[in-house]
Amino acid sequence: MKKFSKYWSIFEITLLNSLAYPGELVGRSLMIIPFMWIFYQLWKVAFSAAGVDAINGLTLQDTLWYLMMTETIELGRPPIARTMSENVKDGSVAYILNKPYDFLWYQFSSAMGETIFRAIMNAIFGGLTVWLLVGAPAHPQGFLVAIPAVLGAWVLHFCINAMIGLSAFVVEDVAAFTWIYQKLAFIFGGMLIPLDFYPQWMQTLAKAMPFSSALYGPARLFVSPTMDLFIGVMSLQMFWIITLVFVLVVAYRRGLTQLTVNGG
Amino acid sequence: MNTLKFLFAIWKTNLQSAMEYRASFLTQVIGMMVNNFIYFAIWIIFFERFKDVRGWGVNDMYVTFGILASAFGIVSLFFGNAFMLSDVINKGRLDYYLSMPKPVLLHTVSSRMISSGMGDFAYGFVSYALSGYFTWDGLARFLLAMLLAATVFAAFLILTQSLAFWFGMMSNFSNLVLNAMLTFGIYPITLFDNYAKLILFTIIPAALMGAVPAEFIRAFTWQTLGQLLLGAFGFLTLAILLFRAGLRRYESGSAIQTEV
Repeated sequence: MKKFSKYWSIFEITLLNSLAYPGELVGRSLMIIPFMWIFYQLWKVAFSAAGVDAINGLTLQDTLWYLMMTETIELGRPPIARTMSENVKDGSVAYILNKPYDFLWYQFSSAMGETIFRAIMNAIFGGLTVWLLVGAPAHPQGFLVAIPAVLGAWVLHFCINAMIGLSAFVVEDVAAFTWIYQKLAFIFGGMLIPLDFYPQWMQTLAKAMPFSSALYGPARLFVSPTMDLFIGVMSLQMFWIITLVFVLVVAYRRGLTQLTVNGG
Repeated sequence: MNTLKFLFAIWKTNLQSAMEYRASFLTQVIGMMVNNFIYFAIWIIFFERFKDVRGWGVNDMYVTFGILASAFGIVSLFFGNAFMLSDVINKGRLDYYLSMPKPVLLHTVSSRMISSGMGDFAYGFVSYALSGYFTWDGLARFLLAMLLAATVFAAFLILTQSLAFWFGMMSNFSNLVLNAMLTFGIYPITLFDNYAKLILFTIIPAALMGAVPAEFIRAFTWQTLGQLLLGAFGFLTLAILLFRAGLRRYESGSAIQTEV
Protein backbone atom coordinates (compact mmCIF):
# COMPACT_ATOMS: atom_id res chain seq x y z
CA MET A 1 0.00 0.00 0.00
CA LYS A 2 2.90 2.30 0.93
CA LYS A 3 4.29 1.72 -2.54
CA PHE A 4 1.26 3.38 -4.08
CA SER A 5 1.20 6.41 -1.79
CA LYS A 6 3.76 8.17 -4.00
CA TYR A 7 1.54 7.68 -7.05
CA TRP A 8 -1.42 9.00 -5.06
CA SER A 9 0.72 12.07 -4.25
CA ILE A 10 1.54 12.53 -7.95
CA PHE A 11 -2.20 12.26 -8.71
CA GLU A 12 -3.03 14.84 -6.01
CA ILE A 13 -0.35 17.28 -7.18
CA THR A 14 -1.53 17.13 -10.80
CA LEU A 15 -5.15 17.43 -9.67
CA LEU A 16 -4.35 20.59 -7.70
CA ASN A 17 -2.23 21.91 -10.57
CA SER A 18 -5.21 21.65 -12.88
CA LEU A 19 -7.09 23.96 -10.49
CA ALA A 20 -4.29 26.50 -10.40
CA TYR A 21 -5.55 28.15 -13.61
CA PRO A 22 -9.36 28.17 -13.35
CA GLY A 23 -9.69 30.43 -16.42
CA GLU A 24 -7.78 27.91 -18.50
CA LEU A 25 -9.93 25.06 -17.14
CA VAL A 26 -13.21 26.84 -17.87
CA GLY A 27 -12.04 28.19 -21.24
CA ARG A 28 -11.06 24.75 -22.45
CA SER A 29 -14.38 23.27 -21.34
CA LEU A 30 -16.48 25.85 -23.18
CA MET A 31 -15.63 24.05 -26.41
CA ILE A 32 -18.28 21.43 -25.67
CA ILE A 33 -21.11 24.01 -25.95
CA PRO A 34 -20.93 24.65 -29.75
CA PHE A 35 -20.39 20.91 -30.29
CA MET A 36 -23.58 19.99 -28.42
CA TRP A 37 -25.55 22.73 -30.15
CA ILE A 38 -24.51 21.56 -33.61
CA PHE A 39 -25.24 17.93 -32.69
CA TYR A 40 -28.71 19.03 -31.64
CA GLN A 41 -29.28 20.73 -35.00
CA LEU A 42 -28.07 17.68 -36.91
CA TRP A 43 -29.95 15.01 -34.96
CA LYS A 44 -33.15 17.03 -34.77
CA VAL A 45 -33.22 17.11 -38.58
CA ALA A 46 -32.17 13.44 -38.85
CA PHE A 47 -34.92 12.20 -36.50
CA SER A 48 -37.45 14.41 -38.21
CA ALA A 49 -36.37 13.14 -41.67
CA ALA A 50 -36.60 9.53 -40.46
CA GLY A 51 -40.12 10.27 -39.14
CA VAL A 52 -39.61 8.27 -35.94
CA ASP A 53 -39.36 9.06 -32.22
CA ALA A 54 -36.70 6.45 -31.50
CA ILE A 55 -34.01 4.66 -33.51
CA ASN A 56 -32.94 1.30 -32.07
CA GLY A 57 -34.17 2.35 -28.65
CA LEU A 58 -32.62 5.83 -28.61
CA THR A 59 -34.78 8.95 -28.72
CA LEU A 60 -33.46 12.38 -29.72
CA GLN A 61 -33.11 13.20 -26.02
CA ASP A 62 -31.16 9.95 -25.34
CA THR A 63 -28.93 10.57 -28.37
CA LEU A 64 -27.98 14.05 -27.18
CA TRP A 65 -27.21 12.84 -23.63
CA TYR A 66 -25.25 9.92 -25.11
CA LEU A 67 -23.17 12.36 -27.18
CA MET A 68 -22.64 14.60 -24.15
CA MET A 69 -21.10 11.61 -22.35
CA THR A 70 -18.85 10.56 -25.25
CA GLU A 71 -17.64 14.16 -25.64
CA THR A 72 -17.01 14.43 -21.89
CA ILE A 73 -14.86 11.28 -21.96
CA GLU A 74 -12.98 12.34 -25.09
CA LEU A 75 -12.43 16.01 -24.24
CA GLY A 76 -11.49 15.15 -20.67
CA ARG A 77 -8.55 12.94 -21.42
CA PRO A 78 -5.13 14.59 -21.56
CA PRO A 79 -2.75 14.20 -24.55
CA ILE A 80 -0.57 11.48 -22.94
CA ALA A 81 1.00 10.30 -26.20
CA ARG A 82 2.04 13.84 -27.13
CA THR A 83 3.46 14.48 -23.65
CA MET A 84 5.50 11.28 -23.76
CA SER A 85 6.69 12.09 -27.26
CA GLU A 86 7.79 15.58 -26.12
CA ASN A 87 9.58 14.02 -23.12
CA VAL A 88 11.55 11.87 -25.55
CA LYS A 89 12.21 14.69 -28.02
CA ASP A 90 13.48 17.20 -25.43
CA GLY A 91 15.36 14.57 -23.46
CA SER A 92 13.40 15.15 -20.22
CA VAL A 93 12.44 11.46 -20.27
CA ALA A 94 15.93 10.81 -18.86
CA TYR A 95 14.96 12.69 -15.69
CA ILE A 96 11.70 10.76 -15.33
CA LEU A 97 13.24 7.35 -15.93
CA ASN A 98 15.93 7.72 -13.29
CA LYS A 99 13.52 8.69 -10.49
CA PRO A 100 12.46 6.11 -7.87
CA TYR A 101 9.07 5.47 -9.39
CA ASP A 102 7.70 3.38 -12.22
CA PHE A 103 7.48 5.34 -15.50
CA LEU A 104 4.05 3.97 -16.47
CA TRP A 105 2.51 4.44 -12.99
CA TYR A 106 3.88 7.98 -12.96
CA GLN A 107 2.29 8.77 -16.34
CA PHE A 108 -1.00 7.14 -15.29
CA SER A 109 -1.25 9.02 -11.95
CA SER A 110 -0.39 12.28 -13.64
CA ALA A 111 -2.88 11.70 -16.49
CA MET A 112 -5.73 10.85 -14.12
CA GLY A 113 -4.99 13.98 -12.08
CA GLU A 114 -5.35 16.08 -15.22
CA THR A 115 -8.48 14.27 -16.35
CA ILE A 116 -10.82 14.60 -13.34
CA PHE A 117 -11.58 18.34 -13.31
CA ARG A 118 -11.46 18.63 -17.08
CA ALA A 119 -14.14 15.94 -17.33
CA ILE A 120 -16.24 17.46 -14.55
CA MET A 121 -16.20 20.87 -16.24
CA ASN A 122 -17.08 19.35 -19.61
CA ALA A 123 -19.93 17.38 -18.02
CA ILE A 124 -21.25 20.56 -16.37
CA PHE A 125 -21.16 22.75 -19.52
CA GLY A 126 -22.21 19.92 -21.85
CA GLY A 127 -24.95 18.77 -19.47
CA LEU A 128 -26.39 22.28 -19.04
CA THR A 129 -26.42 22.81 -22.82
CA VAL A 130 -28.16 19.51 -23.51
CA TRP A 131 -30.60 20.07 -20.64
CA LEU A 132 -31.60 23.43 -22.14
CA LEU A 133 -31.98 21.92 -25.61
CA VAL A 134 -33.84 18.65 -24.93
CA GLY A 135 -34.58 18.52 -21.22
CA ALA A 136 -33.32 16.36 -18.36
CA PRO A 137 -31.90 12.87 -18.97
CA ALA A 138 -34.58 10.15 -18.94
CA HIS A 139 -32.64 8.18 -16.29
CA PRO A 140 -30.71 10.57 -14.03
CA GLN A 141 -29.39 7.60 -12.01
CA GLY A 142 -27.38 6.78 -15.17
CA PHE A 143 -24.79 9.28 -13.95
CA LEU A 144 -23.90 7.08 -10.98
CA VAL A 145 -24.18 3.77 -12.83
CA ALA A 146 -21.86 4.98 -15.59
CA ILE A 147 -19.08 6.25 -13.27
CA PRO A 148 -17.17 2.90 -13.01
CA ALA A 149 -17.38 2.50 -16.79
CA VAL A 150 -16.12 6.06 -17.34
CA LEU A 151 -13.13 5.38 -15.06
CA GLY A 152 -12.48 2.13 -16.97
CA ALA A 153 -12.71 4.10 -20.24
CA TRP A 154 -9.93 6.42 -19.08
CA VAL A 155 -7.76 3.43 -18.14
CA LEU A 156 -8.31 2.03 -21.65
CA HIS A 157 -7.55 5.39 -23.24
CA PHE A 158 -4.41 5.58 -21.14
CA CYS A 159 -3.22 2.12 -22.23
CA ILE A 160 -3.70 2.86 -25.95
CA ASN A 161 -2.26 6.39 -25.74
CA ALA A 162 0.70 5.25 -23.67
CA MET A 163 1.44 2.61 -26.31
CA ILE A 164 1.37 5.33 -28.97
CA GLY A 165 3.55 7.50 -26.71
CA LEU A 166 6.00 4.64 -26.26
CA SER A 167 6.43 4.44 -30.02
CA ALA A 168 8.23 7.80 -29.58
CA PHE A 169 11.09 5.72 -28.14
CA VAL A 170 11.57 4.53 -31.72
CA VAL A 171 10.08 7.16 -34.09
CA GLU A 172 10.07 10.32 -31.85
CA ASP A 173 7.12 12.08 -33.57
CA VAL A 174 3.84 10.32 -32.84
CA ALA A 175 1.38 12.99 -34.06
CA ALA A 176 0.17 10.94 -37.04
CA PHE A 177 -0.54 7.91 -34.85
CA THR A 178 -2.55 9.98 -32.38
CA TRP A 179 -4.70 11.49 -35.16
CA ILE A 180 -5.43 8.06 -36.59
CA TYR A 181 -6.19 6.56 -33.17
CA GLN A 182 -8.52 9.47 -32.40
CA LYS A 183 -10.44 9.00 -35.65
CA LEU A 184 -10.67 5.22 -35.18
CA ALA A 185 -12.11 5.93 -31.73
CA PHE A 186 -14.57 8.38 -33.35
CA ILE A 187 -15.83 5.68 -35.72
CA PHE A 188 -15.54 2.39 -33.86
CA GLY A 189 -16.18 3.99 -30.47
CA GLY A 190 -19.41 5.64 -31.63
CA MET A 191 -18.31 9.08 -30.56
CA LEU A 192 -20.27 11.15 -33.06
CA ILE A 193 -22.91 8.60 -34.07
CA PRO A 194 -24.17 5.98 -31.57
CA LEU A 195 -23.15 2.50 -32.73
CA ASP A 196 -26.84 1.50 -32.61
CA PHE A 197 -27.40 3.59 -35.76
CA TYR A 198 -24.71 1.71 -37.75
CA PRO A 199 -25.42 -1.10 -40.22
CA GLN A 200 -25.63 -4.44 -38.35
CA TRP A 201 -22.30 -5.81 -39.64
CA MET A 202 -20.49 -2.68 -38.56
CA GLN A 203 -22.12 -2.68 -35.13
CA THR A 204 -20.88 -6.25 -34.57
CA LEU A 205 -17.38 -5.32 -35.69
CA ALA A 206 -17.22 -2.09 -33.67
CA LYS A 207 -18.62 -3.62 -30.48
CA ALA A 208 -15.88 -6.27 -30.53
CA MET A 209 -13.13 -3.60 -30.52
CA PRO A 210 -11.64 -1.84 -27.49
CA PHE A 211 -12.77 1.59 -28.76
CA SER A 212 -16.42 0.75 -28.01
CA SER A 213 -15.53 -0.09 -24.39
CA ALA A 214 -13.85 3.29 -24.11
CA LEU A 215 -16.72 5.42 -25.47
CA TYR A 216 -19.91 3.65 -26.55
CA GLY A 217 -20.16 1.35 -23.50
CA PRO A 218 -20.08 4.04 -20.78
CA ALA A 219 -22.28 6.45 -22.79
CA ARG A 220 -24.90 3.79 -23.58
CA LEU A 221 -24.90 2.73 -19.93
CA PHE A 222 -25.48 6.34 -18.98
CA VAL A 223 -28.69 6.59 -21.07
CA SER A 224 -29.88 2.98 -20.42
CA PRO A 225 -28.69 2.11 -16.90
CA THR A 226 -29.87 -1.53 -16.66
CA MET A 227 -28.17 -4.31 -14.69
CA ASP A 228 -27.72 -6.51 -17.80
CA LEU A 229 -26.02 -3.72 -19.72
CA PHE A 230 -23.87 -2.83 -16.70
CA ILE A 231 -22.58 -6.41 -16.44
CA GLY A 232 -22.01 -6.62 -20.20
CA VAL A 233 -20.16 -3.30 -20.45
CA MET A 234 -18.01 -3.87 -17.36
CA SER A 235 -17.04 -7.45 -18.31
CA LEU A 236 -15.95 -6.45 -21.81
CA GLN A 237 -14.11 -3.45 -20.44
CA MET A 238 -12.24 -5.59 -17.88
CA PHE A 239 -11.24 -8.00 -20.63
CA TRP A 240 -9.76 -5.14 -22.70
CA ILE A 241 -8.07 -3.51 -19.71
CA ILE A 242 -6.30 -6.76 -18.73
CA THR A 243 -5.26 -7.43 -22.33
CA LEU A 244 -4.02 -3.92 -23.04
CA VAL A 245 -2.20 -3.51 -19.71
CA PHE A 246 -0.32 -6.73 -20.50
CA VAL A 247 0.58 -5.52 -24.01
CA LEU A 248 1.58 -2.09 -22.64
CA VAL A 249 3.95 -3.52 -20.04
CA VAL A 250 5.61 -5.77 -22.64
CA ALA A 251 5.87 -2.85 -25.10
CA TYR A 252 7.39 -0.62 -22.40
CA ARG A 253 10.07 -3.19 -21.46
CA ARG A 254 10.99 -3.67 -25.11
CA GLY A 255 10.83 0.08 -25.81
CA LEU A 256 13.35 0.86 -23.08
CA THR A 257 15.98 -1.09 -24.94
CA GLN A 258 15.43 1.08 -28.04
CA LEU A 259 15.41 4.49 -26.36
CA THR A 260 18.01 7.04 -27.39
CA VAL A 261 18.04 10.22 -25.29
CA ASN A 262 19.06 13.29 -27.27
CA GLY A 263 19.85 15.70 -24.50
CA GLY A 264 17.87 17.39 -21.74
CA MET B 1 7.19 41.78 -57.00
CA ASN B 2 9.90 41.99 -54.33
CA THR B 3 7.44 40.78 -51.71
CA LEU B 4 6.56 37.79 -53.87
CA LYS B 5 10.23 36.94 -54.30
CA PHE B 6 10.68 37.22 -50.55
CA LEU B 7 7.67 34.95 -49.93
CA PHE B 8 8.97 32.30 -52.31
CA ALA B 9 12.36 32.42 -50.61
CA ILE B 10 10.74 31.89 -47.19
CA TRP B 11 8.56 29.02 -48.46
CA LYS B 12 11.59 27.40 -50.07
CA THR B 13 13.52 27.62 -46.81
CA ASN B 14 10.54 26.23 -44.86
CA LEU B 15 10.30 23.31 -47.29
CA GLN B 16 14.01 22.60 -47.07
CA SER B 17 13.78 22.69 -43.30
CA ALA B 18 10.83 20.23 -43.33
CA MET B 19 12.67 17.98 -45.77
CA GLU B 20 15.54 17.73 -43.32
CA TYR B 21 13.33 15.22 -41.49
CA ARG B 22 11.95 13.42 -44.51
CA ALA B 23 10.51 10.42 -42.67
CA SER B 24 8.69 12.66 -40.20
CA PHE B 25 7.38 14.83 -43.09
CA LEU B 26 6.06 11.81 -44.98
CA THR B 27 4.55 10.27 -41.85
CA GLN B 28 2.68 13.49 -41.16
CA VAL B 29 1.45 13.90 -44.73
CA ILE B 30 0.27 10.31 -45.12
CA GLY B 31 -1.01 10.24 -41.53
CA MET B 32 -3.14 13.32 -42.13
CA MET B 33 -4.60 11.89 -45.34
CA VAL B 34 -5.51 8.64 -43.57
CA ASN B 35 -6.88 10.67 -40.66
CA ASN B 36 -9.15 12.63 -43.04
CA PHE B 37 -10.29 9.48 -44.83
CA ILE B 38 -11.29 7.85 -41.54
CA TYR B 39 -12.99 10.99 -40.29
CA PHE B 40 -15.03 11.32 -43.46
CA ALA B 41 -16.21 7.72 -43.08
CA ILE B 42 -18.44 9.01 -40.26
CA TRP B 43 -20.36 11.09 -42.79
CA ILE B 44 -20.62 8.11 -45.13
CA ILE B 45 -22.16 6.08 -42.30
CA PHE B 46 -24.49 8.94 -41.42
CA PHE B 47 -25.76 9.45 -44.97
CA GLU B 48 -26.03 5.71 -45.53
CA ARG B 49 -28.65 5.72 -42.80
CA PHE B 50 -30.35 9.12 -43.24
CA LYS B 51 -29.69 9.76 -46.99
CA ASP B 52 -30.39 13.47 -46.93
CA VAL B 53 -30.17 16.48 -44.59
CA ARG B 54 -32.56 19.09 -45.95
CA GLY B 55 -31.31 18.62 -49.49
CA TRP B 56 -27.67 17.82 -48.66
CA GLY B 57 -26.37 14.37 -49.51
CA VAL B 58 -23.04 12.64 -49.08
CA ASN B 59 -21.79 14.01 -52.43
CA ASP B 60 -22.22 17.56 -51.19
CA MET B 61 -20.29 16.60 -48.08
CA TYR B 62 -17.40 15.30 -50.20
CA VAL B 63 -17.10 18.70 -51.89
CA THR B 64 -17.50 20.67 -48.64
CA PHE B 65 -15.00 18.52 -46.76
CA GLY B 66 -12.63 18.69 -49.74
CA ILE B 67 -12.59 22.47 -50.04
CA LEU B 68 -12.29 22.92 -46.27
CA ALA B 69 -9.40 20.46 -46.08
CA SER B 70 -7.50 22.04 -48.98
CA ALA B 71 -8.03 25.59 -47.71
CA PHE B 72 -6.90 24.54 -44.22
CA GLY B 73 -3.94 22.73 -45.75
CA ILE B 74 -2.78 25.67 -47.83
CA VAL B 75 -2.83 28.00 -44.80
CA SER B 76 -0.95 25.40 -42.70
CA LEU B 77 1.66 24.98 -45.40
CA PHE B 78 2.28 28.58 -46.40
CA PHE B 79 1.17 30.61 -43.37
CA GLY B 80 1.60 28.12 -40.55
CA ASN B 81 2.58 30.75 -37.99
CA ALA B 82 -0.92 32.25 -38.25
CA PHE B 83 -2.01 29.43 -35.91
CA MET B 84 0.54 30.58 -33.31
CA LEU B 85 0.38 34.34 -33.78
CA SER B 86 -0.97 35.04 -30.28
CA ASP B 87 1.90 33.05 -28.82
CA VAL B 88 4.41 35.02 -30.92
CA ILE B 89 2.87 38.29 -29.69
CA ASN B 90 2.77 37.24 -26.04
CA LYS B 91 6.29 35.94 -25.88
CA GLY B 92 7.72 39.11 -27.40
CA ARG B 93 8.89 37.24 -30.46
CA LEU B 94 7.62 39.95 -32.79
CA ASP B 95 10.85 41.81 -31.96
CA TYR B 96 12.67 39.68 -34.46
CA TYR B 97 10.25 40.42 -37.31
CA LEU B 98 10.07 44.13 -36.43
CA SER B 99 13.80 44.43 -36.86
CA MET B 100 13.63 43.12 -40.45
CA PRO B 101 13.00 45.34 -43.49
CA LYS B 102 10.00 43.25 -44.63
CA PRO B 103 6.22 43.47 -44.03
CA VAL B 104 5.89 42.36 -40.40
CA LEU B 105 2.61 40.46 -40.62
CA LEU B 106 3.45 38.64 -43.83
CA HIS B 107 6.93 37.73 -42.59
CA THR B 108 5.56 36.47 -39.26
CA VAL B 109 2.75 34.28 -40.55
CA SER B 110 4.75 32.79 -43.41
CA SER B 111 7.71 31.85 -41.21
CA ARG B 112 6.45 28.42 -40.32
CA MET B 113 5.30 25.44 -42.35
CA ILE B 114 3.08 22.80 -40.77
CA SER B 115 3.99 19.65 -42.68
CA SER B 116 0.69 17.84 -42.09
CA GLY B 117 -0.95 20.63 -44.12
CA MET B 118 0.31 18.89 -47.24
CA GLY B 119 -1.88 15.90 -46.33
CA ASP B 120 -4.93 18.14 -45.90
CA PHE B 121 -4.20 20.01 -49.12
CA ALA B 122 -3.88 16.79 -51.17
CA TYR B 123 -6.82 15.12 -49.47
CA GLY B 124 -9.11 17.97 -50.53
CA PHE B 125 -8.49 17.18 -54.21
CA VAL B 126 -9.12 13.47 -53.66
CA SER B 127 -12.35 14.25 -51.84
CA TYR B 128 -13.51 16.49 -54.71
CA ALA B 129 -12.57 13.83 -57.27
CA LEU B 130 -14.67 11.27 -55.38
CA SER B 131 -17.68 13.56 -55.01
CA GLY B 132 -19.29 12.77 -58.35
CA TYR B 133 -19.31 16.51 -59.14
CA PHE B 134 -15.90 16.46 -60.81
CA THR B 135 -15.57 18.39 -64.09
CA TRP B 136 -12.57 20.24 -65.51
CA ASP B 137 -14.20 23.65 -65.18
CA GLY B 138 -15.29 22.56 -61.71
CA LEU B 139 -11.64 21.91 -60.89
CA ALA B 140 -10.76 25.45 -61.98
CA ARG B 141 -13.52 26.72 -59.67
CA PHE B 142 -12.17 24.44 -56.92
CA LEU B 143 -8.75 26.09 -57.22
CA LEU B 144 -10.18 29.61 -57.12
CA ALA B 145 -12.56 28.79 -54.27
CA MET B 146 -9.71 27.17 -52.34
CA LEU B 147 -7.61 30.34 -52.56
CA LEU B 148 -10.48 32.55 -51.48
CA ALA B 149 -11.53 30.20 -48.65
CA ALA B 150 -7.89 30.03 -47.51
CA THR B 151 -7.77 33.84 -47.49
CA VAL B 152 -10.86 33.98 -45.30
CA PHE B 153 -9.39 31.34 -43.00
CA ALA B 154 -5.97 33.00 -42.70
CA ALA B 155 -7.64 36.37 -42.08
CA PHE B 156 -9.86 34.81 -39.42
CA LEU B 157 -6.82 33.35 -37.67
CA ILE B 158 -5.00 36.70 -37.76
CA LEU B 159 -8.09 38.53 -36.47
CA THR B 160 -8.68 36.22 -33.52
CA GLN B 161 -5.02 35.77 -32.62
CA SER B 162 -4.29 39.52 -32.86
CA LEU B 163 -6.63 40.05 -29.93
CA ALA B 164 -3.60 38.96 -27.88
CA PHE B 165 -2.31 42.56 -28.29
CA TRP B 166 -5.15 43.65 -26.02
CA PHE B 167 -6.00 40.60 -23.90
CA GLY B 168 -2.71 38.72 -23.47
CA MET B 169 -2.83 34.93 -23.46
CA MET B 170 -5.55 33.85 -25.88
CA SER B 171 -4.75 30.17 -26.44
CA ASN B 172 -8.08 28.89 -25.06
CA PHE B 173 -10.14 31.41 -26.96
CA SER B 174 -8.13 30.84 -30.13
CA ASN B 175 -8.62 27.09 -29.89
CA LEU B 176 -12.31 27.53 -29.20
CA VAL B 177 -12.98 29.73 -32.22
CA LEU B 178 -10.70 27.65 -34.47
CA ASN B 179 -12.60 24.51 -33.53
CA ALA B 180 -15.92 26.28 -33.99
CA MET B 181 -14.82 27.50 -37.46
CA LEU B 182 -13.80 24.01 -38.60
CA THR B 183 -16.77 22.24 -37.01
CA PHE B 184 -19.39 24.62 -38.40
CA GLY B 185 -17.60 24.66 -41.76
CA ILE B 186 -18.00 20.94 -42.29
CA TYR B 187 -21.68 20.61 -41.30
CA PRO B 188 -24.44 21.05 -43.91
CA ILE B 189 -25.45 24.70 -43.92
CA THR B 190 -29.09 23.70 -44.40
CA LEU B 191 -29.13 22.68 -40.72
CA PHE B 192 -29.00 26.27 -39.58
CA ASP B 193 -31.71 28.91 -39.29
CA ASN B 194 -31.24 32.48 -40.54
CA TYR B 195 -29.78 33.82 -37.27
CA ALA B 196 -27.19 31.03 -37.16
CA LYS B 197 -26.39 31.65 -40.84
CA LEU B 198 -25.78 35.33 -40.09
CA ILE B 199 -23.18 34.26 -37.50
CA LEU B 200 -21.62 31.82 -39.97
CA PHE B 201 -21.08 34.62 -42.49
CA THR B 202 -19.77 37.19 -40.00
CA ILE B 203 -18.48 36.39 -36.49
CA ILE B 204 -17.40 32.84 -37.34
CA PRO B 205 -17.25 32.91 -41.15
CA ALA B 206 -17.35 29.11 -41.51
CA ALA B 207 -19.87 29.35 -44.37
CA LEU B 208 -17.22 31.17 -46.45
CA MET B 209 -14.82 28.29 -45.91
CA GLY B 210 -17.18 25.36 -46.46
CA ALA B 211 -20.73 25.76 -47.78
CA VAL B 212 -20.35 28.80 -50.08
CA PRO B 213 -17.17 27.60 -51.87
CA ALA B 214 -18.77 24.15 -52.20
CA GLU B 215 -21.83 25.72 -53.83
CA PHE B 216 -19.59 27.73 -56.17
CA ILE B 217 -17.69 24.56 -57.20
CA ARG B 218 -20.88 22.62 -57.95
CA ALA B 219 -22.25 25.37 -60.19
CA PHE B 220 -20.96 28.81 -61.08
CA THR B 221 -23.09 31.76 -60.00
CA TRP B 222 -22.07 35.42 -59.77
CA GLN B 223 -23.74 35.56 -56.36
CA THR B 224 -21.51 32.92 -54.74
CA LEU B 225 -18.41 34.33 -56.45
CA GLY B 226 -19.34 37.78 -55.16
CA GLN B 227 -19.84 36.44 -51.63
CA LEU B 228 -16.46 34.72 -51.71
CA LEU B 229 -14.60 37.74 -53.10
CA LEU B 230 -16.28 40.13 -50.69
CA GLY B 231 -15.62 37.78 -47.77
CA ALA B 232 -11.97 37.22 -48.67
CA PHE B 233 -11.07 40.87 -49.24
CA GLY B 234 -13.27 42.14 -46.41
CA PHE B 235 -11.83 39.79 -43.80
CA LEU B 236 -8.27 40.25 -45.03
CA THR B 237 -8.57 44.04 -44.81
CA LEU B 238 -10.05 43.79 -41.32
CA ALA B 239 -7.29 41.41 -40.22
CA ILE B 240 -4.51 43.69 -41.50
CA LEU B 241 -6.09 46.76 -39.89
CA LEU B 242 -6.55 45.00 -36.54
CA PHE B 243 -3.00 43.66 -36.57
CA ARG B 244 -1.63 47.13 -37.33
CA ALA B 245 -3.73 48.68 -34.58
CA GLY B 246 -2.49 46.03 -32.19
CA LEU B 247 1.11 46.50 -33.25
CA ARG B 248 0.96 50.08 -31.97
CA ARG B 249 0.28 48.65 -28.48
CA TYR B 250 2.99 45.99 -28.70
CA GLU B 251 5.58 46.07 -25.98
CA SER B 252 8.73 44.04 -26.22
CA GLY B 253 9.79 41.96 -23.28
CA SER B 254 13.41 42.57 -24.29
CA ALA B 255 13.93 38.82 -24.14
CA ILE B 256 16.75 37.39 -26.19
CA GLN B 257 15.15 35.12 -28.77
CA THR B 258 16.58 32.95 -31.45
CA GLU B 259 14.41 32.35 -34.48
CA VAL B 260 15.16 29.05 -36.16
